[in-house]
Amino acid sequence: MKIMVAVKQVAFLDDEFEIRDDGRDVGEDFFEKDLNEFDHFSVEQAMLIKEAAGGDAEVVIVIVGDEDADDALRTALAKGADRGIRVWDDALAEADGIAVAKVLAKLVEREKPDMVFTGAQSADFGSAVTGMALAGFLGWPHAAVVSNLDYASGARTATLRRELEGGLEEIMTIRCPAVLSIQLGINQPRYASLRGIKQAKQKPVDELSLDDLGLSAAEVAPASRVRRMYAPERGKAELITGSAAEQAARLAEIIKELRGM
Amino acid sequence: MFFEHDPQDVTRILFQNFPTWMAVRFYLIGAAACVVFAYGVWTNIRKYRRGVRSGAWSPFWPRVWQMVATVLTHRTIKRRAEAAGRSHSWIFYGFAALFVGTSIITLEHDILEPLTGLTFWYGWFYLAFSAVLDLAGVALIAGLIYMMYRRKLLALPRLDYTRPDRSPGDPDYDRSGYRREDWAFLWTLIAIAFTGFLLEASRLVWLQGDAVVWDYRWFSPVGTTTAYLMKALGLGPDGAAELRLGLWWFHGMLALLFIALVPYTKVKHIFTAMGSLMARDTEAKRRMPTANVDGERIGYSVLTDFTDKYLLNLDACTKCGRCHEACPANASGYPLSPRDLVLSLRELANDTLSHAAMPKGPITVSGDGVNMIRSETLWSCRTCAACVEICPVGIEHLPMIVQMRRALIEDGDFDPMLQLTLKSLQKSGNALGESKRKRPRWTKNLDFEIKDARTQPVDVLWYVGDYASFDPRSQKVTIAFAKILHAAGIDFGILYEDEQTAGNDVRRVGEEGLFQALAAANIELLNSCEFSSMVTTDPHTYNTIRNEYPEFGGNYLIEHASAMLERLIREGRIPTPVNLNYRVTYHDPCHLGRINDGAEPPRQVLRRLGVDLVELRRIRENSFCCGAGGGRIWLADPPAMKKPAELRAAEAAEIAGLDVLVVNCPKCLNMMEDGVKGSGNEGKFRVMELIELVQEAMGLIGDTTSDDGDNVLREAGAPA
Repeated sequence: MKIMVAVKQVAFLDDEFEIRDDGRDVGEDFFEKDLNEFDHFSVEQAMLIKEAAGGDAEVVIVIVGDEDADDALRTALAKGADRGIRVWDDALAEADGIAVAKVLAKLVEREKPDMVFTGAQSADFGSAVTGMALAGFLGWPHAAVVSNLDYASGARTATLRRELEGGLEEIMTIRCPAVLSIQLGINQPRYASLRGIKQAKQKPVDELSLDDLGLSAAEVAPASRVRRMYAPERGKAELITGSAAEQAARLAEIIKELRGM
Repeated sequence: MFFEHDPQDVTRILFQNFPTWMAVRFYLIGAAACVVFAYGVWTNIRKYRRGVRSGAWSPFWPRVWQMVATVLTHRTIKRRAEAAGRSHSWIFYGFAALFVGTSIITLEHDILEPLTGLTFWYGWFYLAFSAVLDLAGVALIAGLIYMMYRRKLLALPRLDYTRPDRSPGDPDYDRSGYRREDWAFLWTLIAIAFTGFLLEASRLVWLQGDAVVWDYRWFSPVGTTTAYLMKALGLGPDGAAELRLGLWWFHGMLALLFIALVPYTKVKHIFTAMGSLMARDTEAKRRMPTANVDGERIGYSVLTDFTDKYLLNLDACTKCGRCHEACPANASGYPLSPRDLVLSLRELANDTLSHAAMPKGPITVSGDGVNMIRSETLWSCRTCAACVEICPVGIEHLPMIVQMRRALIEDGDFDPMLQLTLKSLQKSGNALGESKRKRPRWTKNLDFEIKDARTQPVDVLWYVGDYASFDPRSQKVTIAFAKILHAAGIDFGILYEDEQTAGNDVRRVGEEGLFQALAAANIELLNSCEFSSMVTTDPHTYNTIRNEYPEFGGNYLIEHASAMLERLIREGRIPTPVNLNYRVTYHDPCHLGRINDGAEPPRQVLRRLGVDLVELRRIRENSFCCGAGGGRIWLADPPAMKKPAELRAAEAAEIAGLDVLVVNCPKCLNMMEDGVKGSGNEGKFRVMELIELVQEAMGLIGDTTSDDGDNVLREAGAPA
């Protein structure tokens, strides 16, 4: 029994920042990196299943990223996962969710897990596409934004709940193996102490290149490309108070101001 | 008068008129009592040795002398319980004199005389001995009567063992067994003392015809007075002889019973308290124990993780309740009493470690079972060290709590809110969820530039700290301090974006791995800077850099801002032309007043500002924590509960005409402002930092940044 959890290292933006010279991203100095918030929940869900099985399940954390991403990988490992796999190639520098999903599909072929979890989305780009694209490449059953999961290690099916629009919820049964993208709040993620994160350095991590997975740079070329990133000009809002006459006067003033009169 | 008789005859004949079988029987019973005593001592020592060896009793002799001085002066017992301390000293000295007296008789009669024929217990020595022991008996009885009065009639809350965090019916709810033991102890000891006097008196009546006894009767004043009373009641020599024999056995058996029971009852505190005082670590309130973060496990999760010293600590507790009374968590209704924590662990140790065989599985300490420590109990602690500071027998509750918290952190057994804080600390080195780049943003409100201590040498390196850097209210104080240093012409600098929290609260919350990582990073940075001393406005930061960094290779001269201001004002480098006409009171931060002996400088500063300082009820080392410490500032207090800061604000409100409650710590500022509001005292008096008063006295208010600065501040300090 094996559960594979795909995680991502995401960037947190400082509230003051500058755009990179090429205008396509924020300058590296202006963000701090950490494990994606959603992934804390997907890793926790895998750990709960492993623990319910009396430890008789292997949890493998996979991440696509450069050496920098080791911190996020180790945070996930510190929560009790068994081992990690990190895939990197310079060709992946601009990878989008689809490209990452292609890499993950190769990893699934290699590892043959019984269940794959991803976070519902990443906290920085929020495409929410990787998990579902992965299921597409694999031809596996899938469910997105899972907010409750009833699945025992090695079971042939899982019962899960999803939140839909308009406050609706749906309960579905899914055939395993499957790809599930996990929503925030599905559980209470455990804390990885810094000591645990340091000790997670002892856990085995395979570092793989595209070659190792039999992928070429062309196969992971992103299907989309960021052209420009910028902060839109901020709108203004003002609460106008006072008597009706005062409010009308202020309104007129604002209109004049905006029209440059 | 004396030398009508041979001095050799002026003595007490032991076992006088006893048939041999009776004396033999006494020796047999005495030997049995000693065996029972020795067995009890051994099982206790075995219990302590089942903990981890601490080496806390070395160096041996200096520790012995220190302990002897503490015990003989009763210094720690008298604190905050003067009358009880005095009575205890009567019991102690009375009991000790009677014990030594009995030992002297044994030494002569059973050891020296049979072996060498040497005797000395006669003549003047014997008479002085009699007088001293009579006095000792009186002291013992007087002390015991006061203690009975104190328990029964004073009914002090601190002597009530009922646990507010348990319900009636819980096995450890009121600990009535302890109460019965207390009374049994008092009655047994007083009965031994009284029967001693009655025995002495009946002997005198019996031997009234014997001049070597009767002529010297007034050397036993209490016994003789009692003897006259007996005579007046019609007791003659024959009746007295019978009475004496009966009393002899009763007194003797009671005394032997007492000795036999010492290691099994609260009487053991005679030894355990001494052992505990010997092992006392004077740094226990300042420096938390360093743990190996690379080990298999961390912290105390099972009882056998405790050191032998802590296990002895548990047995040393005399339930005096001083810690129970001093604890801010307990006072505010949180489920923590340091005394109950110690007693629970003691009972757990007695149940599990006292038997010949150890229990099969691990002895878990944290949990909801009887005599286990609940996690909410451990999370109630503010690490203010009031318990450690007041404990008369040297129990170190605080490091035990931190050790148990370490295990809870590792198991994830804590409030989810704390997880966000710890993740923020891991990610960006501050507890407020802010980015590293934002840390020095407050400096933008100054009309001068603060030196970057990372790149240029400075005289004073100012370690700003988390709350002082990010909290909007504290930023005003931080700016004020910068302006004061600037005006005083101090050559100072800060670490800008690279400063991270020093880690005092991180360590006390139990995240030792994170603390050590922060300490290592900060020390590496500090060691790369050139400066001659450090200053900080935050007592928590001050404590950790001063007391905890040396162990990790960071040795710096650091001052708290209040000490620095006191010095600068005294040296005339800070002129304070404006006389402040306020009535103020001063709240000592735990980490300054109690933990680092820093109660005086802030008061000196206040005296020089011309304010009218009225002291609070609990000051200096007895200060009452604002509730922020030990990471509690990161956790919400349940709305239904009183907050320690509210109790403190109410205490300040007792001062008539109070204008300002002066605080001296960014965290106290934060807590006390809330406390004033929460206790319904908003608008009655203000909460101000000492630094703000100094700024006002310097006349620095109203120049360049006061109004504009506030506006900029509000924007800069708004939550992200």
